[in-house]
Amino acid sequence: MEIVVCVKPVPEAETRLRVAADGARLDAEGVKFVLAGYDESAVEQALLLKEAVAGSTVHAIALGPAPRTEEVLRAAVALGCDKASWIEVPSGGSDDPLDAARILAAAIRGLPHDLVLCGKQAGDDESGLVAGALAEALGVPGFGYVVDLRWDAARSRFTFHRAVESGQESWECPGPIVIGLQQAWNDPRTAKLPAILKSRKATITKIAASGAAASVATPEKFELPAPRTGAKMIEYRTPQEAAEKLVRILREDAKVFP
Amino acid sequence: MSRRTLVVGEVRQGHLADVSLEAAGRAIELTEPTAVVGFVAGSGAEAAAGEFARVGIADVRWTDAGSGSDASAGRIAPTVAALAREIEADLVIVGGTTFGRDLAGALAIRWDAVSATGVTDVRREAGAIHVRRPVFGGRATETRRLAGPRVVLALRPHAFAVPSVTPTTVRTSGFAFVEPAPSWREAKLLALEPAAAGGGPALADASIVVSGGRGVRAPENFRLVEELAASLGAAVGASRAVTDAGWRPGTFQVGQTGKAVSPQLYIAVGISGAIQHLVGMVSSRVIVAINSDPSAPIFRVADYGIVGDLFQIVPALTAEIRRVRGP
Repeated sequence: MEIVVCVKPVPEAETRLRVAADGARLDAEGVKFVLAGYDESAVEQALLLKEAVAGSTVHAIALGPAPRTEEVLRAAVALGCDKASWIEVPSGGSDDPLDAARILAAAIRGLPHDLVLCGKQAGDDESGLVAGALAEALGVPGFGYVVDLRWDAARSRFTFHRAVESGQESWECPGPIVIGLQQAWNDPRTAKLPAILKSRKATITKIAASGAAASVATPEKFELPAPRTGAKMIEYRTPQEAAEKLVRILREDAKVFP
Repeated sequence: MSRRTLVVGEVRQGHLADVSLEAAGRAIELTEPTAVVGFVAGSGAEAAAGEFARVGIADVRWTDAGSGSDASAGRIAPTVAALAREIEADLVIVGGTTFGRDLAGALAIRWDAVSATGVTDVRREAGAIHVRRPVFGGRATETRRLAGPRVVLALRPHAFAVPSVTPTTVRTSGFAFVEPAPSWREAKLLALEPAAAGGGPALADASIVVSGGRGVRAPENFRLVEELAASLGAAVGASRAVTDAGWRPGTFQVGQTGKAVSPQLYIAVGISGAIQHLVGMVSSRVIVAINSDPSAPIFRVADYGIVGDLFQIVPALTAEIRRVRGP
């Protein structure tokens, strides 16, 4: 099975966010970038499928500026991806997820692919647009919010569940397909030191960016919320008093229920 | 002259979902009722189409998405694109559910549009759409200018109110299903297991969420959280500690690796407030924390806090809510 897994560098979850001088975007100066959380899950999923289906190849692909994009690709290789391709775009260029999907689709068309995996959304822009857009651009079925992805070898089909608002859907579909993964692994693998050292010398194939329209989405403002001042603490003598005070506040001040 | 806006509705249990009515309400405010067209697809679409009248939309199209096949977002995206072209829309609005966000991506490619999801504010100004949306798990907000000429927006659930208007007379008409890529024929929806045992609302949809964390100490104590949720008609959530321990299934998890929620009221019971949990709930409108540890980080993001023994506070709170809301 030929598996392509799309990965994106995003600021570490603990990053202290700052506004750039233009007021329109994140100040990326000094920010440490890591593999996006759901993309890390997608890599784990790709590697589990590879282990389950003999003769599989996992190809990590990423779009973005140096050096962060190359770094997350090396991290994916250290985890066990067989190949890595980097579509280099300049820092400060379009950050539109649909541009990203169009460029990724143009590159993936030239690669063998039975399954294209990505995280359901990235932890920075949280658009969740890429899986659906990639599928449509590649002309194959696409599904977001997927868990429990498996390969049914006897029937040559993927089976999976989707966590949707009204419940859990069960699906089957042959490849090629695009999957936006919602899976959270309790215990994903971590890269071992020898693999990390080896990944530093791994070949990262460069692919030229093509396929993006001139973006018409422009960032205008990036704002941080006023720091929360902390909770208004409810003073009480008995649990009943605490309950009465809280309910009164919720009804009269916060007006969250009648 | 302003062009038309298409609202893509979603059918749940035979009815138009609240998020679809919220999307319709916002669409009308951006233009005018007569410039808005509603659309629904799938089984029950024809019956649900009429419910757009509740928010004042008079022109609604529907398709059954090919008999026997599902109306998943990717499958109906080509039909939505065809309808948007036919009515000369320049804007498509959808509720930002799993369906809405999947649709936004596919439709934006098919209809050659620009798109934004998780939108909490939108205005039309000088020929462009400007949207505000939380990013970084609600730790920041961005404003983007979408110049079009075609824009697809998925609105964050509950960010907009369902308008209360005098219902209109609605005219519904069928719209021909446009076949997606041939490989879709092999994609089969085998089953849908309804969510939320106990009849509470689905987590991502709920306007009130009550979540329990490690502080409840044992799986059997989780019923305290569930009873409080039931008294409020709220959905039940859990921290990662709870789902990792197997006290509740992973579908209950709120946080970075679970669901992101933004209800009107979020009550955190026995949750310390690790960053991984906070990013999934910090954009809730009002946050209440109940915890025995006054230095728990959850109190830094909460609006109201009660320091105390949850085994005493939570039952008292449930009883008080039952008392004021009546049986």
